[in-house]
Amino acid sequence: MIITRAPLRISFVGGGTDLPDFYKQYPGRVISVAINKFIYITINHIPHTKKVMVKYKKTEVVDHPSQLEHTRVKSALLDLGIYRDIEIGSFADIPAKSGLGSSSAFSVALLKGLHAFLGKNFGRREVAEAASRLEIDILKEPIGKQDQYAAAMGGLNVFQFNPDHSVDIKPVFLSHDVKKRLENHLILFFTGVTRDAGKILSEQRNNINNKFETLKQMADSVYEFEKLLLKSDFEAAGKMLDEAWKRKRSLASKISNSSFDLLYDEGVKSGAHGGKILGAGGGGCMLFVVPPEKRESVKKAVIELAKKENLFGFEEVPFKFTECGVDIVYRDDR
Amino acid sequence: MELFITNFFKEINEHLKEISPIEIAKALRILEATYERDGRIYVIGNGGSLAIARHFVGDLNKTVFGKHIDKNIKRFQAIALPSTDAELTAWANDIGYDMVFAGPLKNYIQETDTLIAISSSGNSENIIKAVKVAKEFGIPVIGLSGFDGGKLNEMADVKILVPTEKGKYDIVESIHETICHLITRYFQELINYKT
Repeated sequence: MIITRAPLRISFVGGGTDLPDFYKQYPGRVISVAINKFIYITINHIPHTKKVMVKYKKTEVVDHPSQLEHTRVKSALLDLGIYRDIEIGSFADIPAKSGLGSSSAFSVALLKGLHAFLGKNFGRREVAEAASRLEIDILKEPIGKQDQYAAAMGGLNVFQFNPDHSVDIKPVFLSHDVKKRLENHLILFFTGVTRDAGKILSEQRNNINNKFETLKQMADSVYEFEKLLLKSDFEAAGKMLDEAWKRKRSLASKISNSSFDLLYDEGVKSGAHGGKILGAGGGGCMLFVVPPEKRESVKKAVIELAKKENLFGFEEVPFKFTECGVDIVYRDDR
Repeated sequence: MELFITNFFKEINEHLKEISPIEIAKALRILEATYERDGRIYVIGNGGSLAIARHFVGDLNKTVFGKHIDKNIKRFQAIALPSTDAELTAWANDIGYDMVFAGPLKNYIQETDTLIAISSSGNSENIIKAVKVAKEFGIPVIGLSGFDGGKLNEMADVKILVPTEKGKYDIVESIHETICHLITRYFQELINYKT
């Protein structure tokens, strides 16, 4: 048995600039932080069964991975040449399609585990690249590389996506008090609405040429955001998110829907400096930067409005940052 | 006499300036991640470095939580290797001195762990053998070295080097001890913020 896990992440600024159509022309940049919500993958060797078993919401038992419905596991197994005698299960601290990078965290944890299963020791960068290859090259998902890197590395980082496809990783080192104060300034809500990142991102990708200048601004604003965090100016950081969110909203029609716009505006009206819908939008999670003394009033106002808008799954997700990236947390196959 | 004393302080000060804060920050993040996932931290060294290693294990396991001894919070699992004199002499006498760290390391090592290797020359054979075991398992290696860093500085994931001319053990060891205290202070503050 091998158990791996990879963290979800909150992406602050620069999402969308990690798409190759953009970063081939201008370096893309994203600043994100890993949180203590994880995707766990268990991999078990089941000799002599000649079967492949995959357990998630459903349980699949097949003779060959090509028969699997779970496309990600199917492609990974076919790509690595694992055809039988394996059982794979997954567990998540938060539902899928939450906008917290869960599908890439799944790929990262899966590939770390499958390589370990094959006796190979994959480093964090290698896992990030392997997961990017699986999702972008093999599965043709219209996504970038930011989530695979965030899940593999853990912690708070600036990732730069270079035109030659290389990725620079710049850890952002915050002292304890700044980190704690930043955590206390953030409030995360799960909207109860799940969405498929693919649809929105493909529209966003089609728009890249029209929106090149906007994306360039986003990429450049990442360092500015980092500086604001380092000097713990969370009010200015929140306002930057507010501006970035408004710019992003102009990128693709499905990024937001009218209920979310109302909720967002309510959050800002009741005291938040700014915020955003996490991930590609259209559902998932909503983040606000709020001065701690206004935390309760913002929470109350937004949750009440969500009820009026019939968003009954809307609730706060308490979290902390984590330094952990992808890890093998247990193995007994030696 | 006064000049002798001030010169020594001056020498220490000058070398302190050459330590990379970025590498120390990287070490702090790796150790914090190890703590979060309940991994173990092995600390190894020979002679003076062994004394630093054992002192540091005590600081991580006890001093870091010194103000919160009664509270039920997750603690560090730092381990001095080998953990008994019996193992040390058994490995050295029966197998060879080069295996005194690598041998016992294999008793404990899991993918969630971290190795801190302390060697002024960076070339002690027994240290390098243990680093190779850590690499095989893919766990992070934090190397504290001196002089030109030697093989340890080449192989370590985090390269904390006190660059000096060869043989300046006093300077290198003094600064290594200081860095261990810096790390201890960092985690004392972390625990204060957590509680």
